[in-house]
Amino acid sequence: MSTLTRNMSFGQRFLANEWSALAVAIVIGLVALAALSPAFLTEFNLYVMLRSFCVVLIVAFAQMLTLAVGQMNLSVGALGGLVAIAVGGMMEKWGFPVPVAILSGLTIGAAGGLINGLLTVRTGINGFIITLATASAFTGINLGITESIPFYNLPAGFVAFGTGRFYALPYLLLPPVLIAIALAFFLARTVPGRQLLAVGGNPQAAELSGIPRDRVIVTAHTLSGLLAGAAAILAVAQLGSAQPTIGVDWLLMSFAAPIIGGAALTGGHISVAATALAVVLIVIIQNGMVLAKVDPYWVQFLLGALILAAVGLNRLRAVRAGGA
Amino acid sequence: MHLTIEGIGKDFPGVTALDDVSFEILPGETHALMGENGAGKSTLIKIITGLYRPDRGRLLVDGKPVDFTSPRDAIAAGISAVHQERNLIPRFTVGENIMIERPPTRNGVIDFDRVHAEARKFLDLIDPTIDTRTEVRHLSVAQMQIVEIAKALSLEAQVLLLDEPTASITGHEADALFAVVRRLRDEGKAIVFVSHKLEEVMAISDRVTVLRDGKIAAAGEPISAMNRGKIVSAMIGREERVAEMGTRSADRSQTVMEATNLATSFGHKNVSFQLHKGEILGLYGLVGAGRTELARALIGDGKVVSGELRLHGKPVTIPNVPTAIRRHRLGYISEDRKAEGLILTHPIRSNVAITVWRRIASSLGLITRATERKLVHPLVDKLEVKTPSIEQAVGKLSGGNQQKVSIAKWLAAGVEILIIDEPTVGIDIKTKTAIHELIGEITREGLSVLLISSDMPEMITLADRILVMRDFAIAGTIENSRRYEPMSREIMALIHAGSAEVPQTGPAPEAARV
Repeated sequence: MSTLTRNMSFGQRFLANEWSALAVAIVIGLVALAALSPAFLTEFNLYVMLRSFCVVLIVAFAQMLTLAVGQMNLSVGALGGLVAIAVGGMMEKWGFPVPVAILSGLTIGAAGGLINGLLTVRTGINGFIITLATASAFTGINLGITESIPFYNLPAGFVAFGTGRFYALPYLLLPPVLIAIALAFFLARTVPGRQLLAVGGNPQAAELSGIPRDRVIVTAHTLSGLLAGAAAILAVAQLGSAQPTIGVDWLLMSFAAPIIGGAALTGGHISVAATALAVVLIVIIQNGMVLAKVDPYWVQFLLGALILAAVGLNRLRAVRAGGA
Repeated sequence: MHLTIEGIGKDFPGVTALDDVSFEILPGETHALMGENGAGKSTLIKIITGLYRPDRGRLLVDGKPVDFTSPRDAIAAGISAVHQERNLIPRFTVGENIMIERPPTRNGVIDFDRVHAEARKFLDLIDPTIDTRTEVRHLSVAQMQIVEIAKALSLEAQVLLLDEPTASITGHEADALFAVVRRLRDEGKAIVFVSHKLEEVMAISDRVTVLRDGKIAAAGEPISAMNRGKIVSAMIGREERVAEMGTRSADRSQTVMEATNLATSFGHKNVSFQLHKGEILGLYGLVGAGRTELARALIGDGKVVSGELRLHGKPVTIPNVPTAIRRHRLGYISEDRKAEGLILTHPIRSNVAITVWRRIASSLGLITRATERKLVHPLVDKLEVKTPSIEQAVGKLSGGNQQKVSIAKWLAAGVEILIIDEPTVGIDIKTKTAIHELIGEITREGLSVLLISSDMPEMITLADRILVMRDFAIAGTIENSRRYEPMSREIMALIHAGSAEVPQTGPAPEAARV
């Protein structure tokens, strides 16, 4: 531990932390909801909440990786929709075994990300524009294949995984937890992970330090696509059917969680833990609004307010800490 | 206009940046403001130009107290500044940037012909070669500086503050600027001139004010009563120390890098030179002579299109930067530490270890903080980087310490040849000496250095031999005698050979430092 943090009290260290405000907000939310609503702490409600956490978290991670290198992926949802349909089709129409269908789905996701990355790097056009275009293309393929008709007849085991639970813990929670651990480890401890953050922090400096900048950007996009695919497969399991509309509402959430978690849009600064906590907070708020029978449209409003508050708070902390 | 600074004080959390600073700026004078980094010069300038408000004291214009709440107020009062930070909009043209505060309009629409015509007038005062219709992003750093100065001139300021205007321009550009400064002074304007370069302060200023640790160390002393030694001791509170280079022992029998008739994708032609083991080979030239571009071509960030490059006697082609570093042990420290050298928001630890992640990773490709620390700690200690911890974000270090981190990362990488581009731009005198000694030390340990610098005294202090570059070609090579006067004359003669300009004689004799 550095001398700086060593000389601070526990309280100061807690406040200086990226996720301290989120943790406090979550605790307040939990206590308030538990006190106000008897339905909140029931096993079933906790299960429902944890279940809605799973897909969103992976979607947030998918965006977080592109933010890490200072890019954006506007095609997370479109790519997710395409993977969902592909996986559903492979299982229902072609009778692929579940593991094969899942692997193929992940491959499609990664391939979509790879295309995003290669186009960005080769053309030199901003990733925002590239992924805006590919998003439309992916959606087009999706709707072209399905003609907007979902696949309903999925293998029983696959659907059971999506609804099964151990007390309040849905089986569905397992993949996102494993992904979160793997990602945190990847970013903190592996060469490509560290290179990703270095390129986001200062592309020129990273390049002059011998890091293959273009390859790193392509890697980030590919992983982003892979995670979008994983989220889509999870969403299919959760719904029990492969809907062409999977992914259409992902975009706002995908940015909201990493940003509430303190990610810098300029790149180089992201946190897996804070992003996960941000998703927890969003889910608690959504659940609380449902329990309070508030119109779901107001959830959107609150999410917007939350993003602004989080960004303002981070800014304030940066100023206190004396600049960047 | 008569500007009085009276008992100004300014506090930031934990530090008093300025304390009871008083002096006067008079019409018709060039007033140098000096001090080491962190002495409070920039804070003072920000107060005078309305960016900060003082916590104590006041400003008086012609005897009347003024209270600037924004730069607009200061500009309206006739005070303009060229700040160190570039304040230009990259995708706007030069003309629009100069006229940005008051674009001429016709029927409510911007009249671009007049924008460019007006801008032209001010630009012609300094550099007629810059086209007002060029977008600023296509300009060199030196040209951007010129545009900023033209912009300040166009505001018809009575007091013009130039914050290190010559930090990144050389030779005749600086001379042209000084000519403008003198003309404006003779017209009755006050020029406040912040600079680290004693030579130019001695050459162009009428009076000098020195800040040390936020306090006045010399207030408006006439330059005739000062000399180099007095200014330096006012700045650092003791006598100046010139870098001790020791015995230079380059092994001329061992050539580590040899270029023969290189031509590059940047337009270099017939570039030939040899770099020996343990040698500091200087590369001097005006901004725009192609020095940085040559460095980039050598490290694979640009192409060698013909000719031969040999490293340790073997012909090589370097396709990209990773190959230069890993296979050929060749590194480059950019002149722009902040934009291209370091990741400011990341800690010292990862900024240094970045070049060797691949090497220090375990067989599974994993890096632990412990391995990084084991590598970084000794280097940070050896180079005496002043920091509470290696977890400190590099952006919070001083310029000198940032440069030490840049050097540390290449020592970590184990390079054998290091190209250092402008190692002490914006670094104060005390730290500059430390960086110079550090460069001397690493070459004594066997590293070979190709040194790019526009700072003549630095070049003559450090280099064993000096290559002079002009128009993307080598104009000549000089053995460095380390005697300032004859060396500077010889270098300038090479730079201006073949051009119609009168050869410069270099700064005034008292500026000689070696």
